[in-house]
Amino acid sequence: MGIRDFLARTITGNIKVYTIDDFRMDKPEVMRLNSRVRTEKINPEIDIAVTRAPNFTRKIKCSAENVKISGLKVKTRNYRIKRYVKQDVKVHKFSIKKKIQTYSPLKQVQALPQERKNLLKYIKNRPKTAANEMILAWYGPIVEGAVIKLALNKQRGTLLVWYNPGSRKLKARNVYLIRRLGLGEKPEWRWV
Amino acid sequence: MANNLLGYILIEGTETQLRGATLITDAKGFPEDFTRTEPFRPDQLARILYGNSFGKYAKESLILESLLDAVEKQPQLWICNDSEILTPLHEKSRIKTVLLEESPHVPLDAAGHIETTADPGVFLLQVEANGAPLRAEFPDGTRSDEVEQVALILTEAAETMSILEPFTRLQRAMNFLATGAK
Repeated sequence: MGIRDFLARTITGNIKVYTIDDFRMDKPEVMRLNSRVRTEKINPEIDIAVTRAPNFTRKIKCSAENVKISGLKVKTRNYRIKRYVKQDVKVHKFSIKKKIQTYSPLKQVQALPQERKNLLKYIKNRPKTAANEMILAWYGPIVEGAVIKLALNKQRGTLLVWYNPGSRKLKARNVYLIRRLGLGEKPEWRWV
Repeated sequence: MANNLLGYILIEGTETQLRGATLITDAKGFPEDFTRTEPFRPDQLARILYGNSFGKYAKESLILESLLDAVEKQPQLWICNDSEILTPLHEKSRIKTVLLEESPHVPLDAAGHIETTADPGVFLLQVEANGAPLRAEFPDGTRSDEVEQVALILTEAAETMSILEPFTRLQRAMNFLATGAK
């Protein structure tokens, strides 16, 4: 600042301003302080061929691209069985027998007697009997002409009937059992 | 011409053993044909695979079919006493079929009388002149005229035989033959 400017500022308060034409200034370079770290994974594919199952308790030396790796850090991700023992696998198919064996022992069944129940309680019109007679039981229908044998099943109160297989008779009747009151009297069968 | 044969079928057993038999009788109740199955013993695997439906499946598809295939004489009417096989028996045999049981009812008016019940498809049939009416259950879809036909067949047969008696004989025959006779 010259004397002229000093006096001008002090007395008149005028300040002479200079302009700078064509003023240029480079942008400041901004630098980040953080740094980027380059990471490299050491993840080599390691093929370990074994002919027998390895003893994993034993320390294994491992390395990849000349970098030694602790055997404890090696993880087995998959495995391939190169040799195996061939076995025949048995397949069991389930099925239920579709046809059951059947037998036809007809003669043995034909020998079995038929059984008749006592129907006396259902008989409304009972035949007249003598004063000393009493109807004990009533059985039917029975094809009288085809009967070979009759037998009373005293335990069950039923009548067992054996028929002649060759008989063609079909006329059915009923039979009832009479008891006569008195000493020495025997029961009697009557057809009706 | 229709024959006068009646067919009786009995299938019985438990989860561990099933067996069945048929008896075809003439008008006197005399056996004309008899067929029985060997006891069928399903193993545990079959019972596991089929579950609760095994018993029904075994009755319908194993025992019943085997018996019907083996029967030599066809009856005019099949009579059973098990509601599980009533419809399958009718469908597989294509013969009139009825389930018959004793009933505790008092006798109806006369032989041949039919009385309806509260259960659809179930009737009381007075087939025997002396005795209680029978409870008769028919397969689904049986028409009323078919019920009358069955009642007529049974009423005519009851003149010369006891209608339910063959079931007793079937049971005795199965027990007798189960001892080893074939």
